[in-house]
Amino acid sequence: MEGVAMKLPSFKSLAPNAISIGHRSFSRVRRSSSLSVFSAASSSATVATNSESVSLGHRVRKDFRILHQEVNGSKLVYLDSAATSQKPSVVLEALQNYYEFYNSNVHRGIHYLSAKATDEFELARKKVARFINASDSKEIVFTRNATEAINLVAYSWGLLNLKPGDEVILTVAEHHSCIVPWQLVSEKTGAVLKYVMLNEDEVPDVDKLREMLSPKTKLVAVHHVSNVLASCLPIEEIVVCAHNVGAKVLVDACQSVPHMVVDVQKLNADFLVASSHKMCGPTGIGFLYGRSDLLQSMPPFLGGGEMISDVFLDHSTYAEPPSRFEAGTPAIGEAIALGAAIDYLSEIGMPKIHEYEVELGKYLYEKLSSLPDVRIYGPRPSESVHRGALCSFNVEGLHPTDLATFLDQQHGVAIRSGHHCAQPLHRYLGVNASARASLYFYNTKEDVDSFVVALADTVSFFNSFK
Amino acid sequence: MAAAAMSCAASLRLLPFKPNLFASSVQYPAKALILRPLKPSELPSFRRTIITFQKISTGNVRPPSASPPSSSEDFQPIEELPPELQEIVKLFQSVQEPRAKYRQLIFYGEHLKPLDPQFKTRENKVEGCVSQVWVRAFFDDQRNVVYEADSDSSITKGLAALLVQGLSGRPVPEILRVTPDFALLLGLQQSLSPSRNNGFLNMLKLMQKKALHLEVKGEEDSSSEESLESSFVPTPETNGGVSVVDKDTESKPSFVEDLGAEDSDGGSDVVALGSRGMRIREKLEKELNPVELEVEDVSYQHAGHAAVRGSAGDDGETHFNLRIVSDAFQGKSLVKRHRMIYDLLQEELKNGLHALSIVAKTPAEV
Repeated sequence: MEGVAMKLPSFKSLAPNAISIGHRSFSRVRRSSSLSVFSAASSSATVATNSESVSLGHRVRKDFRILHQEVNGSKLVYLDSAATSQKPSVVLEALQNYYEFYNSNVHRGIHYLSAKATDEFELARKKVARFINASDSKEIVFTRNATEAINLVAYSWGLLNLKPGDEVILTVAEHHSCIVPWQLVSEKTGAVLKYVMLNEDEVPDVDKLREMLSPKTKLVAVHHVSNVLASCLPIEEIVVCAHNVGAKVLVDACQSVPHMVVDVQKLNADFLVASSHKMCGPTGIGFLYGRSDLLQSMPPFLGGGEMISDVFLDHSTYAEPPSRFEAGTPAIGEAIALGAAIDYLSEIGMPKIHEYEVELGKYLYEKLSSLPDVRIYGPRPSESVHRGALCSFNVEGLHPTDLATFLDQQHGVAIRSGHHCAQPLHRYLGVNASARASLYFYNTKEDVDSFVVALADTVSFFNSFK
Repeated sequence: MAAAAMSCAASLRLLPFKPNLFASSVQYPAKALILRPLKPSELPSFRRTIITFQKISTGNVRPPSASPPSSSEDFQPIEELPPELQEIVKLFQSVQEPRAKYRQLIFYGEHLKPLDPQFKTRENKVEGCVSQVWVRAFFDDQRNVVYEADSDSSITKGLAALLVQGLSGRPVPEILRVTPDFALLLGLQQSLSPSRNNGFLNMLKLMQKKALHLEVKGEEDSSSEESLESSFVPTPETNGGVSVVDKDTESKPSFVEDLGAEDSDGGSDVVALGSRGMRIREKLEKELNPVELEVEDVSYQHAGHAAVRGSAGDDGETHFNLRIVSDAFQGKSLVKRHRMIYDLLQEELKNGLHALSIVAKTPAEV
């Protein structure tokens, strides 16, 4: 059955605990009555206007209680998923279940609860590995978020491998989290940062990138999908070119992993990072994917318990990856909940999600560009250019803050205004700030319509003062 | 935190908002104004960013119990607001429809006197605004604060205009007493969350900080004038006991030594030299062996200037006119002479001396 299956944490297979299973079976029964309407749903994900086939967005909405509320007197229309995604009930329940039934520290204990917690935690790691097609779950390091993962690479791999004069290639469109760590580390090592600018399609110029590559390049750190431009970089191609000159590639996949199939074997990247909270998982957990041989060669990042082998007074020996990079007690419940999020997304199917978002994203782009004086950043969608399902834009003569404030307070529409953690990009585009509406698979065509109507109203309100 | 609880308020709700989340016990030397002491439940983040103002010497202190009566909802009562601001609040309250309120707000903004671009400096910029907002403050001749402001966003400009209109022309203590509560009364659903994105809150804070700074600079200037009258009597360390504790400075009592009145050409000293002035004089005398030396403290001329504020080591002596006649300048170009002087005064330049206006001649050139 497509859609929203209630996936129980698999621990019931470990040690049947009659009471707790009974509890959850009960809740499953309760839930399934509300699901019955979906069993008749077709498996297509089309954006239907007259809903004879229910769209994906409509089908999954029931799982996201947070979306069913009023804000400032209007129905909430949440269009800020690029900042953080909403979580389906299963994920919340997984987190609750963990704390209610088997919370215990991992990797350390002998007793029953700790064994369960450890198994679930490691199972979550396997789920992440499978989700991105890593060859081994040992290639997944749990971190606090993608930002921490990038810092891990910068401070562990970077400090060891970057020498004075070495070059690190970034794009001008990178998120601050993929700029600042490299600035910090290049200060320490004497490495030089080089930036790829945009071409006339408002996409980072891959040809220029290729030209920039040289034997001095040690690392290329780029986004997969841009959180402002909605453009998608040809990672496979970039990796081939980078490897040719002996450079490693780090992919910031925060805006891609949640929305499409990401296969690290196909991409062949050396490092890849993503955050749980953008993919229906809780905050406080993210991961770094690193090729085994690379992780093996890297020194510790944070020191403490878990990442050690033996500890003496004057020195210590360290554990194998991934433990080597996971100091201290991890966010156990959160990791398990991330696993539940991955299950949820996989149940729907990433190709389906992606297909739905391409459609909806195109719809958003079209409706938005039909308004006068609206300037959308990034490439135009076409047969060959698939944009991510978000639009950063500016309206002539209207400050994005005013826009976002009015949309929120008069229409309950939640968008983002500011620089979206991409100040260099905004400077390059010649603006102080922009507004951004971003979609996820729980948004519907009606959401986009509401947004556009609200936007038109906002624009005319502010225009009345001119 | 109370503010966090009511941020993103869905509608205008009169929540039991802790009063006076802004000020701790602020005591004013001349006016003896005491604000309500900070309650333990006050928001720590507000406190951290507020300039607290403490009296060093014991003065007459009104007991905390003599605080104004609080309203039933525990808000700052509207009567405590400056009169213009009260009018504005009443106007907004009379306009029920939210859209009309916005129209009113934007209307205010459109009629805001434009801010000269030269004042759009870093010191005048409101932190934490996604839009750009600048605020400038100066004294009128009655020591009331006058504000000017600008923004690139219509709503923020409206809020700025509101604050400018409501607070301009008022004396410092009155301005400092204003808490952000009144924003609720406007019914604009302006979040009062202390988050960094709260432009309105930050604007108010900056305006209050600038008012305070103006007052402090004013105190320092007037105290240095006072000491001139008793010029041969060393003045006490704490002159009026004004101490400003800013979050990024150490507290420094502002004091004036008047030891050097008998030296040299006191005639040109309109303002008696403070410690920095003395050090400059000593250094130049020692190193350049001048035939003539005039050191004039003109910091007061730059009192409103944005760069002049409580930086570490700043004792208010920031701008000087120098006239030096010395053989040491023989054969040196003008640039070289200025270079010499600047090099000698490196330490001072690092510690708060902002600028020198130099006349450097050889005896033959005079």
